[in-house]
Amino acid sequence: MSFVKRNVVLSAARPATATSATAAQTKSEKQLQPGLRPSPVDGRLTTSTGTSSLDQLLAGHGGLPLGTSLLIEEQGTTDFSGTILRYYAAEGLVQGHQVHVLGYPADWKHQLPGLAAPDKKGKAAQPMAPPEDKMKIAWRYESLGNNQNAAAARGEASPGATFCHSFDLGRRLAVSSCPGVVHPMPSTGPPTLDRISNSQTPSPFKAIIKHLRTQLETSAPTTIHRLVIPSLLSPSLYAAGCGQPSEVLQFLHGLRALLREHSTRLTALITLPTFLFPRSSGLVRWMELLCDGVVELIPLPATPAVAAPTDTKTVDQPQGLLKVHALPVYHEKGGGGAATSSFRENLSFSLSASKGLVIKPYSLPPMVEEEKPKKENSPASTVKDGIDF
Amino acid sequence: MTSRTPPLLEPYLAGLPDEAALVVLTGILGASTNWLVLRYLHSFLKQALGGDEDEDDETTTAEDEPSVLLVSFLRDYTFWKDSASRLGLDLDALARRGRFSFVDGLRSALFVPSSSSSSFTTTSTTTTSTTPCNAIPDRGRPTPTPTPTPPRPAPRPVVQAHQQKWKQPLTHPSLVGVQSGLHSAVDELVRARAARAGTGTGTGGSNGKVILVIDQLDFLLAAAATSSVTSLGLRELLLDLREKVHATILTLSADEPLVVAQTTSLEKEHAAFVLSLAHEAETILSLRLLDTGVAKDVSGVLRITGGGGGGDRRAGRPQVEEKEYLYQVVGDGGVRVFERGGQ
Repeated sequence: MSFVKRNVVLSAARPATATSATAAQTKSEKQLQPGLRPSPVDGRLTTSTGTSSLDQLLAGHGGLPLGTSLLIEEQGTTDFSGTILRYYAAEGLVQGHQVHVLGYPADWKHQLPGLAAPDKKGKAAQPMAPPEDKMKIAWRYESLGNNQNAAAARGEASPGATFCHSFDLGRRLAVSSCPGVVHPMPSTGPPTLDRISNSQTPSPFKAIIKHLRTQLETSAPTTIHRLVIPSLLSPSLYAAGCGQPSEVLQFLHGLRALLREHSTRLTALITLPTFLFPRSSGLVRWMELLCDGVVELIPLPATPAVAAPTDTKTVDQPQGLLKVHALPVYHEKGGGGAATSSFRENLSFSLSASKGLVIKPYSLPPMVEEEKPKKENSPASTVKDGIDF
Repeated sequence: MTSRTPPLLEPYLAGLPDEAALVVLTGILGASTNWLVLRYLHSFLKQALGGDEDEDDETTTAEDEPSVLLVSFLRDYTFWKDSASRLGLDLDALARRGRFSFVDGLRSALFVPSSSSSSFTTTSTTTTSTTPCNAIPDRGRPTPTPTPTPPRPAPRPVVQAHQQKWKQPLTHPSLVGVQSGLHSAVDELVRARAARAGTGTGTGGSNGKVILVIDQLDFLLAAAATSSVTSLGLRELLLDLREKVHATILTLSADEPLVVAQTTSLEKEHAAFVLSLAHEAETILSLRLLDTGVAKDVSGVLRITGGGGGGDRRAGRPQVEEKEYLYQVVGDGGVRVFERGGQ
């Protein structure tokens, strides 16, 4: 309850306190930009990825810690990771963050999912249900879980401070009406005729790092930036020379340095198609080592013709498996101490238009039978409105 | 809080490594060596933890206490400082005492030189003496720097000069650039140590044993695979450096794709580098994940083996006792190390 009161008072008095507060505490709640909240683990600022179940996965921080990057690898030819990127960008736009999009053409911003209005509160509360469900098992860490729920409740109490919005894939985000801005980046694509005639840019990645650095330095110190890097090294978006280890590793190293230099302003989400760049190659391993978090999506083969038994109506069909290889902050410390997160288990994900990507522990069908009565109680899983891919 | 140095690791961490020793720490994705590096830092630097004011504890800087030069390619100074402070090490204070210095290999300007690199030079000495917490001074934005302590009176000029020099960024990613950068950092640390001792009697004396800790030197090899840096050149660089310091601790990545496959030139060079260093090393501490899956109370497996350079090479030096333990990193930075099946 103390959270609520403090937030209400200070947000009302924000203009007055802004001058005096700068010297006192950098992490005090009064200065929080929209879309940020302190981690319940260690108080560092986090921002939402736009996918609340992914936020919950990140080692108990409840969001992507600022100054870190997350690499999402995807097997096969599906584009679940692209959907995560869209949610990430849309969340940033809604929160008023500066979104930098690499590779994609400028009209990509018109493909972002729109806000799932109008019952925002109910929707925002909904994704919190699976962690609560989790808490019943992880009884030892209930206090930590309460922290998370308190933070979530705070977000609900004042709708202006929603941490993670819920989006509807069926709608389109009205980019012009959002407080955030999409910034185009220098092109990374294969050299076209006019760029050959220029021929002064040594490498697209270096130009990007330079561009990002100037963007970060010239913008106001309170702005929050998000970097969207889709399908890294995919030949359709990146020039052939980018695949050289020296190019991409230096780029990721520079990006890591930028993230650390601006550790309260910048996050990055990177996707990588592992059918082009398998995880068994040394280059990809170095790319993973240079990113803070590594998550792998393994889509299951689509089974459209399967006759779904009646009891699976209560549970969304998993559309793929999710493996966590590393998490920001958590594995940097050595891999321990975040007891609330469930990433050690086998995880599955499913994508639906209204709920976005939902990550939850994967259970084989007999287990589903067993857990059915419990799952029926939770409101999140009773709604079945998935799109079959 | 869990014991800072796990008891089972005491025999390996306590005291100084032998002269000219090379200790290799290998980690993989998901089992990073950071906590082990911090334990080494703690074991080297813990002696003079009493006071934190410069002027008072001059006498406590004994002759045989080692200084540490930490070179980090993947992690910034803030990370090391925060993690070390959880172990009770104040790296800033140690740096002021000439016991510690840091070379920053994680800079966006390392591979992409910035046009505004002139602004890297620190302008005000008062800010650097009170809050030297950012590896690179923030440019263009007024940070609300928390100043817990009022600016203390300026220390002696020698120390002040060292304050700006103890934290150097690498400026050039080439082999020559790194070499000169690291050599000058070692020299600077020895000089600062000698000046700190007050006597200044020769930098080559017995005082100022420098221990070099390089975090992920193999990144340099990977990021410049096709150009100038080769594993041979990097090993020569390392040999040159090892002549100057008392002992060397390296962290390397030993992921399976990097060491086993050896198809691309990156993998070949990396494997050659890591394997040859493993043959040179006295001790190898390798971290990996559990082979059997994941567990909530185990972070990974720590395997301690003697490298190719230890043991029988010189008579009278016992072989490293080879062990395999499990470890768990807990939330506050503490580490539990225990036998399989034990607690």
